Amino acid sequence: MPKRTDIHKILVIGSGPIVIGQACEFDYSGTQACRALRKEGYEVVLVNSNPATIMTDPETADRTYVEPITVDAVTKIIDRERPDALLPNMGGQTALNCAVALGKAGVLQKYGIEVIGCDLDSINRGEDRELFAKAMNEIGLKVAEAGIAHTLDEAREVAHRIGLPVVIRPSFTLGGAGGGMAYTEEDLDRIASEGLDLSPETEVLVEKSLEGWKEYEMEVMRDSAGNGIVICSIENLDPMGVHTGDSITVAPAQTLNDMEYQRLRDYSLAILEKVGVATGGSNVQFAVNPKDGEVIVIEMNPRVSRSSALASKATGFPIAKEAALLAVGYTLDEITNDITQATPACFEPSIDYTVVKIPRFAFEKFKGASDRLTTRMKSVGEVMAIGHTLEEALQKAMRSLEKGHLGLGADGHDEFDEEHFDELVSTPTPERILYVAEALRRGYGVDRVHQMTNIDPWFLNRIADIVRAERHIHELGLAGLTPERMLAAKQLGFSDAQIAYLTGQDEAVVRALREVLGVRPVVKTVDTCAGEFESRTSYHYVTYERGGATEFHEAKKPRVIILSAGPNRIGQGIEFDYCCVHAAYALEAEGFETVMVNCNPETVSTDYDTSDRLYFEPLTFEDVMNIVEVEKPVGVIVTLGGQTPINLAHRLKEAGVPIMGTQPEAIDLAEDRERFSELLDKLDIAYPPSSTAETLDDAKRVARRIGYPLLVRPSYVLGGRGMAIVYDDDDLKTYMAEATQVSPDHPVYLDSFLEDAIELDVDALCDDHECYVGAVLEHIEECGIHSGDSACCFPPFSLSDSIVARIREITRKLALNCHIKGLLNVQYAVKDEQVFVIELNPRASRTVPFSSKATTVPLAKYAALIMAGHKISEFNLPAEDRELGYYACKEAVMPWSRFPGTDTTLGPEMKSTGEVMGIATTFPKAYAKTRDAINYSIPMSGTVFISVCDRDKRNIAPVALALVNDGYKICATRGTAKTLRAAGIECEHINMVDEPHPNILDAIADGKICFIINTPHGSRSRGDGYRIRTAAVEHGVDLVTAMSGATALIQAIAALRATTLKPYALQDLRDLPVKK
Amino acid sequence: MNLLVNEDRPRALLALENGSTFAGYAAGAEGETFGEVVFNTSMIGYQEIVSDPSYAGQIVTLTYPQVGNYGVNAHDMQSAGLALRGLVVHDMCYTPSNWQSEGSLPDLLRQEGVVAIEGVDTRALTLQIRGGGAMRAAISTTDLDPEHLVERVRQSPSISAHNFVLDVSPTELRVVPAKGQRRFGVVAYDCGMKRGIVDGLAANGCEVTIVPWDTPAQKALEADPDGVFFSNGPGDPEQVKATAQAAQEILGKKPVFGICLGNQMLTVAAGGSIEKLPYGHHGGNEPVMNLLTGKVEITAQNHNFGTVFSSLGQLVPELSGGQTQHHDDLRFWSQRHIAPVVQNERYGRIRLTHVNLNDGTPEGIQFLDIPAFSVQYHPEAKPGPNDSKYLFRAFTRLMEGREDYLAIDVREGRRF
Repeated sequence: MPKRTDIHKILVIGSGPIVIGQACEFDYSGTQACRALRKEGYEVVLVNSNPATIMTDPETADRTYVEPITVDAVTKIIDRERPDALLPNMGGQTALNCAVALGKAGVLQKYGIEVIGCDLDSINRGEDRELFAKAMNEIGLKVAEAGIAHTLDEAREVAHRIGLPVVIRPSFTLGGAGGGMAYTEEDLDRIASEGLDLSPETEVLVEKSLEGWKEYEMEVMRDSAGNGIVICSIENLDPMGVHTGDSITVAPAQTLNDMEYQRLRDYSLAILEKVGVATGGSNVQFAVNPKDGEVIVIEMNPRVSRSSALASKATGFPIAKEAALLAVGYTLDEITNDITQATPACFEPSIDYTVVKIPRFAFEKFKGASDRLTTRMKSVGEVMAIGHTLEEALQKAMRSLEKGHLGLGADGHDEFDEEHFDELVSTPTPERILYVAEALRRGYGVDRVHQMTNIDPWFLNRIADIVRAERHIHELGLAGLTPERMLAAKQLGFSDAQIAYLTGQDEAVVRALREVLGVRPVVKTVDTCAGEFESRTSYHYVTYERGGATEFHEAKKPRVIILSAGPNRIGQGIEFDYCCVHAAYALEAEGFETVMVNCNPETVSTDYDTSDRLYFEPLTFEDVMNIVEVEKPVGVIVTLGGQTPINLAHRLKEAGVPIMGTQPEAIDLAEDRERFSELLDKLDIAYPPSSTAETLDDAKRVARRIGYPLLVRPSYVLGGRGMAIVYDDDDLKTYMAEATQVSPDHPVYLDSFLEDAIELDVDALCDDHECYVGAVLEHIEECGIHSGDSACCFPPFSLSDSIVARIREITRKLALNCHIKGLLNVQYAVKDEQVFVIELNPRASRTVPFSSKATTVPLAKYAALIMAGHKISEFNLPAEDRELGYYACKEAVMPWSRFPGTDTTLGPEMKSTGEVMGIATTFPKAYAKTRDAINYSIPMSGTVFISVCDRDKRNIAPVALALVNDGYKICATRGTAKTLRAAGIECEHINMVDEPHPNILDAIADGKICFIINTPHGSRSRGDGYRIRTAAVEHGVDLVTAMSGATALIQAIAALRATTLKPYALQDLRDLPVKK
Repeated sequence: MNLLVNEDRPRALLALENGSTFAGYAAGAEGETFGEVVFNTSMIGYQEIVSDPSYAGQIVTLTYPQVGNYGVNAHDMQSAGLALRGLVVHDMCYTPSNWQSEGSLPDLLRQEGVVAIEGVDTRALTLQIRGGGAMRAAISTTDLDPEHLVERVRQSPSISAHNFVLDVSPTELRVVPAKGQRRFGVVAYDCGMKRGIVDGLAANGCEVTIVPWDTPAQKALEADPDGVFFSNGPGDPEQVKATAQAAQEILGKKPVFGICLGNQMLTVAAGGSIEKLPYGHHGGNEPVMNLLTGKVEITAQNHNFGTVFSSLGQLVPELSGGQTQHHDDLRFWSQRHIAPVVQNERYGRIRLTHVNLNDGTPEGIQFLDIPAFSVQYHPEAKPGPNDSKYLFRAFTRLMEGREDYLAIDVREGRRF
């Protein structure tokens, strides 16, 4: 059927902020969908609260609303835009849930909006475990024996019927949040009550454990004519028991024979039909008993998902784009395969390589949380690698992770916990794969490791082969590596650095020898059809093959390589990918052939449509050089992809690679504290007194000189890893002991910590002649909280014009003196009207997407143009000090609920996973929107619990007063209560954690507290406050841990009480009237 | 297996008619083999591929790079032995893992004397075959001199020079009972029939009397079967004259169903012509539209030759959406969801029922005035998707005399 002409305007719902379980894969799918629909002539209205996305760029949709994805906000947008149809299956669970809620609220009916791409009943059947189990039974498929429970008693009852161990999964939560495996009665009680709390429907599924079974995923599509195709099969290396998002996964399936595979295919297509997926993509998960092939259906997601993004990248088949086209009436046979441009999309991709995905974790950020992997997803990102063997892809993926591994161990960085070695082989953790390799190295044998891990012997044999080759390389030494053997080593995925370690040589020597031996990589193409048809798309990977047949092709245009950001982790996420994508668009328009390099399958940058050429490769020196040598670019861009490419800049330049834009020297200058301080001195710019220290004694001496509190951090880290504020010698001692572990070769920085200062982020452009300050962002939290975790506002809401002007002047001086060509970010602290420079980053920063949207100036695009030789004066940019008719707020999204046991206090180490944006005509309203967008619905009445540290006691009275005036009741612990009563504010005293019951923990558990203001006492985050904050996270009670945040929240509450929030489209921002 | 894991394997060389050579290691029997090199893009199902008798005379390249992962078993064999000439893979697995595995693929190849090579850049080889067409080739573990082996390849006979059906067709008649109740008696011309086909017929209540490829029509019809089936088979259909002759005599007398070579036999019987495709269709992901239902089935295919639809007769415009002109690219019809009909001199009207959406070649025809139909692809799959399994039922419906026997939804094939 051709496309529908009875609908014209389509509302697309995005997935909101990046959280664990829902990351930038939905930016990729949403962007594809918006583009595809617009190309077909539909008008697209988009709502998504996440500013860091390409999707929310004003160019992607016709009307872009960076607004909370709530029934209330979306209803207002619907009322204004009057779309004909709603496409809800591109924005993950968030969008589906919103669509269901809109349906239930009668909004869709009232405005006559048709849901396309899926129907609400099918969402329900896919998500509701009981309905799903029933549907599966009706078509003769088995699901794990299970029961639904709405109370803890019911959960116990079901568990006793099935027998322990059981898996507990809360209904309607993201990425299995709140689920877990219960081996004992205690586990059962704990996980079930947690799950009941987390489920929006207070419902958990208690299910028979299939631990040890093999786990598979099928990515399936269906069209309105009933044609069904499997895009990709995925096999989890980790057997059942680990969330698929946390598993190492491999495509295509490796250990199924044809009968088994076709059976899963038949089941998958039947499941889609039964659940009622009219059109689009779905993901179906199966468990297969390794002993007899018995198949059990685990679940299905009637929408594009993380796995479908992976499947799209793994096969070259753009699932989201095709799903959007199917939703507007096309059938699969009417759509052309993008890659071949000659065959239809109605086929099943065949791939001639192996794909490995490895998740990226960030447990180091969440002290106190267990790193055991369970059915609750905890990873914050992932990498994908392509190779001609599993061995090669696995090793490439390991080095893509940027965890310091150069492959599957054997790189001089292997460190094992000898005491718990066997336990760490059998227990799934992020490090388990390394323990498995080591066990095989130690001669455990495949059988024993299989017994210990349940990992399929096929995978273990491949790892055993890597280990065997490793030993062989070590024994042969470099001299023994003939061309054939060198080729063999590269075919197993060994990096030059690994070979260097194994042979006791230098990486450069190995590389040189490899050149001499003529062992050079070849370029191959991802073409969806295993070479059967010619590919029109340059989606490449690099591998090693005898004969050297390469598919690299020349082009007339000069080539530019853009190095993107690698896996998402806390501190480096989608924001950098955003910048790289903009550069690709801008430079393509400038007549360059753009070449993107990245290994993150969730991103828009790894969409083959984004750049002229895409290399899905690790971002290591060796892998990047392989591409440079083939592509011979006129320039390589290293300053847009965050720290990953920055770390390569030096070596690339030394190797003679032309670096575009800001040169590595400038990067050095900014990162070398001493030289940077000299520059600041020379320019007469103030900065907090600081020094470096390598030992505790050094550090103590610095402390005497500068005085406490001190902001301390190891050098050369991103996202504030290992950063802390220390208030006394004891703190300092603890810190120094830990810091030397994080980064042993680098000194520790100690800065005077400017308590209660206002912090600012500045994003600016410089062309080495002129500097344009794009955005001055005022942080809401005071100095000391990592800028990535801080809420901020543009334009500044509390600073005078003269201070902001001074900040612009300082930025200009710095930019020109550092010879920046491109983007820079400067962080400032303002205390007592004095401006201090905290740091300068001569690269794109995390705030660039937000700044670009808030100011309506696409900074990353201009940065790329500057690198290509353009001048700022050509851009006709709006005046820096123009008056605006709106405020834009950004708020960070924290992953606390994923890491039970970790402290939730904000500090100098970044912990947030994503961000949201709110736009309104006043700061409080904009801030209120961000709270709304994070799902912290602000309770409009109830009891507020307040407990603040001594430092904050003076400032708490006005906040409490405002709350009382708004009709809230206050309860407080003894000390805070005293302060409040002294100020004449009525409050109830409540017992502290260690005082007799009922105390504050009981009150939280009983749902008597509507939100909490709790600022930590000094640096000691453990103890009472810690337990209160943990309880708040467990029970989903909103929590503020900084006074500045509390103040902003009070303002937001007041704003919400006074007015309702109006939605604003980004396309209209420039026209909002300026209030005088 | 990687060289650094085991250095102790004989070297092997693959040489092509176009002068290309690929060095590697023996991954099956040692020795030497000559044949026509083709590639198969199925990612799973190597055992069914190597045991498919249609590959007689051919050296098969598997495009998926790691082969042998789940081992082999007796149950999945498509014939008693291996008929292919040789196997080319990138990386062979010697340590398979699967609950059904009874042995490794390299062991099976060795036992069956099939020469195989690993360590080859199979993608580069595939692109050469795509560009240059299926060509003569050799794998040798004894002659490792590239120039010499290429020269010998160039002197080797073409695949069309020999009737490979002779080598794989049985010499004796054999009866396979129906699974469950016997509803039909079917005579099957076995030109190298895959076991999956016999299973497919038997599962639909057919007692299958398997007869040699050159069984005269009269003999086949002796027992008054309910239907006659023409199987797949290897090589150039020009060589298989006796079967085509039998088909010509049987058509119109009994309901007939043909698969692959069987489709070509019916074409030849109807006086139509056969063409050789540049590099054939070998894989499990070929989209085919059933023009009668408009549904697309993902099919398993393995053929180098195919029917030329226009050679079957002039279009009948009133049954062809008013069209009077033949189109080389048959996607002309699938895009319009029209199943065109030609007037055949021998058997009356013949309808095009299935079209390959990748390249617009014919995949199935239906005789309207006599009870017969055939498809070029493999409804039994093995390996491949089950979408087209409905065709076995279509055959039984044809034998029951139903007019709409082919109008079955693909989902029927996937029932479990």
